[in-house]
Amino acid sequence: MAKQKTFIEDIERALYDVRGEDRPRYRSESGLTEEIVRDISERKHDPDWMTEMRLKALAVYNEISLPGWGPDLSALDMEKIATYVQPDAQMAGRWEDVPDEIRDTFDRLGIPEAEKESLAGVGAQYDSEVVYHSIQTSLTKQGVVYTDMETALREHEDLVRAHFMKLVPPKDHKFAALHGAVWSGGSFVYVPAGVEVKIPLQSYFRLNAPGAGQFEHTLIIVEKGASLHFIEGCSAPKYNVTNLHAGCVELYVKEGARLRYSTIENWSKNMMNLNTKRALVEKGGLIEWVSGSFGSRVSMLYPTSILSGEGARCEFTGVTFAGRGQHLDTGATVVHAAPRTSSVINTRSISKDGGVAVYRSGVKVTAGAKGAKCAVNCESLMLDDVSRSDTIPVMDVREDDADVGHEAKIGRISDEAIYYLTSRGIKEDEARAMIVRGFVEPIAKALPMEYAVEMNNLIDLELEGTRG
Amino acid sequence: MGDNILTIRGLHAGVEGKEILRGVDLSVGKGETHVLLGPNGSGKTTLMNVLMGHPRYEVYAGDAAFDGEELLALPTHERARRGLFLSFQTPEEIPGVTVENMLRTARQAITGKKAGVMAFRKELAAALETLKMDADWASRYLNVGFSGGEKKRTEILQLLMLKPKLALLDETDSGLDVDAVRVVSNGVKAFRTTENACLIITHNANILSALSVDGAHVLLDGRIVKSGGAELVEEIGTHGYAHFLGGER
Amino acid sequence: MAAAEKEIVYGRIPVPTWRWLGVNEVRVPEKVLREPPAARLVTIPAGETREFTVVTRGEAVSELHVEIGAGAELRLTRARLAPDGTQCADKVKATLSENARFVYTAVNLGGESVADLLDVDLVGDGSSADVAALYFADGRQKIDMNYIARQRGKNTDASLVVQGGLADEAEKIFRGTLDFVRGAVGSVGREREAVTLLSPNVVNRSAPLMLSGEAEVDGRHATSVGKLDEEKLYYLTSRGLSPADAKRLVVLAAAAPVLERVADVTLADEIRTFIERRLSDG
Repeated sequence: MAKQKTFIEDIERALYDVRGEDRPRYRSESGLTEEIVRDISERKHDPDWMTEMRLKALAVYNEISLPGWGPDLSALDMEKIATYVQPDAQMAGRWEDVPDEIRDTFDRLGIPEAEKESLAGVGAQYDSEVVYHSIQTSLTKQGVVYTDMETALREHEDLVRAHFMKLVPPKDHKFAALHGAVWSGGSFVYVPAGVEVKIPLQSYFRLNAPGAGQFEHTLIIVEKGASLHFIEGCSAPKYNVTNLHAGCVELYVKEGARLRYSTIENWSKNMMNLNTKRALVEKGGLIEWVSGSFGSRVSMLYPTSILSGEGARCEFTGVTFAGRGQHLDTGATVVHAAPRTSSVINTRSISKDGGVAVYRSGVKVTAGAKGAKCAVNCESLMLDDVSRSDTIPVMDVREDDADVGHEAKIGRISDEAIYYLTSRGIKEDEARAMIVRGFVEPIAKALPMEYAVEMNNLIDLELEGTRG
Repeated sequence: MGDNILTIRGLHAGVEGKEILRGVDLSVGKGETHVLLGPNGSGKTTLMNVLMGHPRYEVYAGDAAFDGEELLALPTHERARRGLFLSFQTPEEIPGVTVENMLRTARQAITGKKAGVMAFRKELAAALETLKMDADWASRYLNVGFSGGEKKRTEILQLLMLKPKLALLDETDSGLDVDAVRVVSNGVKAFRTTENACLIITHNANILSALSVDGAHVLLDGRIVKSGGAELVEEIGTHGYAHFLGGER
Repeated sequence: MAAAEKEIVYGRIPVPTWRWLGVNEVRVPEKVLREPPAARLVTIPAGETREFTVVTRGEAVSELHVEIGAGAELRLTRARLAPDGTQCADKVKATLSENARFVYTAVNLGGESVADLLDVDLVGDGSSADVAALYFADGRQKIDMNYIARQRGKNTDASLVVQGGLADEAEKIFRGTLDFVRGAVGSVGREREAVTLLSPNVVNRSAPLMLSGEAEVDGRHATSVGKLDEEKLYYLTSRGLSPADAKRLVVLAAAAPVLERVADVTLADEIRTFIERRLSDG
C-alpha cells in the first residue's frame, strides 16, 4: 500500500515537478539585509517612494515577531532564502519571444493553450519576474489594463501609489512586512467603470529556483459597475530545500462591481505558502473567492473581505486537501462594516496520510452594520486515523440587528453510505471516490470547468493510495 | 429448483456474535412475487441485509443460491451486478452526488457498458414519469433533504433503472399515504416481468393490490414458521401473529 | 474598571488564533485572585449517583475538581446569582472514568465580571458529558466562558449547549471546544450555542472549536447569533401581549431547556424571576 502511494504521488506531481534548469540572470544573496533590499529596488528601477516603502517594511519586518498561533514555521530560515531571482528573460508579449527553456515549462502546464481556448489575457511569472503578459485588444480598447506590476508602476504610477499596500499594510504581519520589502512581479488589473470582462484573465506563478522566495504583488481595481473573473495558478517543482511564497493580493471592488478571484494552488511540498489576500468591497459590490489548496508543506491563507459599503457581499468557497507531510491552515475572514452587508463562507477540507487540515476564520460585525448577515458552513472529512482536522472559527458581533450563523461538521465516510452505493453495483473504491467528490461538489461547481476537472483528477489520484 | 432465482438453506446470521436468523429456509421462483411477513424484530431486515452483504452482518451457517450461484461469499457490489437489488428502509443521504450521476455510474457498473447519454436520459424521464416525479429530481443530491416518501420513490426509481433479477423491498410502503403507496405499487408493477422476481416486506396489503402474490412466508424469531400462498397474507391481516407466537413458544 | 488594573491569565483557548479577535486568553483582575482558594476535590465512587447544587450569591472565586468513577453519575448544578459589581471566577474540572456520566448545568446571572471555566476530560470508554449553560448579562457586565470537552475514551459522548441573552452594553465570550483525541473511536460530540442580542451596544464573541485527531468520530457544532425573532414577537403581540411581555416570553422560552434541568423548583423560579426582572428594567 505504501509503495502504491508513492508511485501515485509521483505521477500526480510529474507535470509540475519537471524543473527548469536553474540558470538565473541574477540571484540575490540569501537572507535579508538593507543592502539586499536596496539592491533589489535599484535593479527594478523603483521610484523613490517605493524604495522608501521597502526600507520601512524591512524595519517593520525586523521588529515584529512570528505569529503566536498556527503551523510550525521553524523550517523556514530566512537566512537561506534568496528573495530575488531574476530569470534570464525580458518580459515578452508573444510566447515565441519567451526563452525556450522557460516557455517549455509553461507549455507543459498548458498555459499558452488555455490562453487560446478560454482566456482573455494571460500573465506568466517565472521566479521573481513576469516573463509574459498579453491581453485581448478588444479589452484594451475598452480601457482595461492587464500588465505586470513593474510596468504598472511606470505607466500608472499614481493609481499604484494610491492603492499599493494600502489594504495590506506592511505592519499587518511579519510576512506582509517581508513582502513589502522584497516584492517583485505580479499582475496589475484595472477595469474601468461599467466594463464587463466576460472571459477570465489568468496569471500563473511558477517558482523554479531552489531555496528561493516568490513575492509577487497582485493589485486589481474593478471600477463602479464593472466585472471581472481573475484566475491565479501557482506551482513549483519539488526541491529538498525550503521555498517560500509570500505574495500579496489587494483587490478593490468599487460600487456595484463584481470580482471573482479563483485560485488553484498546487505548490510543491517543500513550499511555505504564507500568502495574504484582501478585498475592499464598496456599496453593492461583490467579491467571490474560489480557493483550492492542494500543495505546499505549510500554508497560511485566509483571504479577507472588508465589506465597507452598504449591501456589499462576499462569497467564499474553499477546498483544502492535506496529504502526507502537509499542514494546511486555511480559511477566511470577513468584516461587516456597513449595513445590510452579507457573507457566505462555504468550505470543505480533507485530510489523509498524516496531513493536517485546519479551517480558521474570523467574522466581525461592527456596530452599526444593521441587517448584516453571515452564514458559515464548514465540513471536514478525515480519511484515516493518523491525520488531523481542526476547526477554529471566531465570530465577533457588535450589532444586535445582525444574523450570524455557523455550522461545522467533522467525520469520516460512513460505512452505511459505502454499503448503499455498493448495493447498487458500484465497487467500494469507486463508491468512496464518489462520496469524496460529492463532498467537494459544492466547491467544484464554483470552479472554472477545467479546474473542476483537474481537482477531481487530483482527488482520484490522491485517493488511489488510501484504497485497500 | 433450477427455476428458483433465490434458494436460502439453513441460514444462521446475526450481528456482533448475536444470532438473529436461526435457520432460515426460503425459495423464490423466477418470475414470482413473494411476501415476507413477521412482527417487528423477527429478523426480516436482517435477512435482506445478509442477502445484500451488509458489512456488519455475519453469516454463521447456511447458504443462499442466487440464480444458481452461491451468493454469500460475494462482495456487495458483485451481488448487485448479478442482479440483486435492495430497496432500503432508510436509504443513506449522499451529498454532492446527484440521483442521475449515481444511476449512470451504477448502470454502467452493472451492465459493464457505457450508457448512451440520450437513450439513458429518455429512459430516466420515462421512469420519473411512471413514479410521478419531477424531471429535475434527477439533478438533486441523492436522498439529501428528501422526505420519507421521496426517499422511497427514489428507491423505486433505482429499481426501474437498474432492472435487477430479484428486488428485495424492505417496507418500501411504510410511512406513505394512500396515494404514495399507489405510486410505489405502480412502480413495482412496471418493474415486474415474467423474467424477474420480488421479495417484499410489508405491513400493508395495499402495496400488494396491484401485484399478484405467488408466495408468502412468516418469519418469527429468526425462522420461517409458515410458507404458503397469497391467502397467508390475508390470514395475518385478520388474525395477526398471535397464533404463530402461541405455537412457537 | 481602571484601565491600568493588572490582570492574570486564568484560562486559555486550547488552540490560539488571531490576537485581534481577543479570545485567546481568559483574563481576570489580579486582585480577584489574590487569595485563590484551594481546589475542592469531589470523588464519586464507582457505580454511585450523586446530585449537587451549588448556588453563589456574592463575590466568589472557586475551583472544583470532580472525579467520577466507573459507571458513576454526577449531576451538578452551579447557579450564580451575583449582586451587581461583584467579580467572580470559577473553574470546574471533571475527569470521567469508564461509563461515567457528568450532567452539568451552569447558570450565570449578575456580577460585574465573570470568568467561567469548564474542563471535562472524558478519559473512560463510554463516558458521557451533558453540559448546558445559561447566561444573561446586561449593564456593563462581562462574561468570559471557556468550556472544553476532551474526548479520549472510545464511544464517548459530549454535548455542550449554551443559551444566552445580552442587553445594554454587556460583553460576553464563549469558547466551546470539542477535542477528539486520537483513539476516541466511535465518539460523538455536539455543540450548540444560541445568543440573543437585545440591544445595539452589546459585544458577543463566539469561538466554537472542533479539534480532531481521530477519524472515526462524529462532531458537529452550530452557532447562531442574532436579535429576537421578529415573527415570534409579532405573533404574540397580535394575540394581545405587550411588546415587553412578548420579549420576556420569547427570552424565557429560549432559556427553558436549560431551566428545566434545574431540579430545585425554588431555584429555577428564582432564576426565572431574576431574568424577568432584568428584562423589565431594560
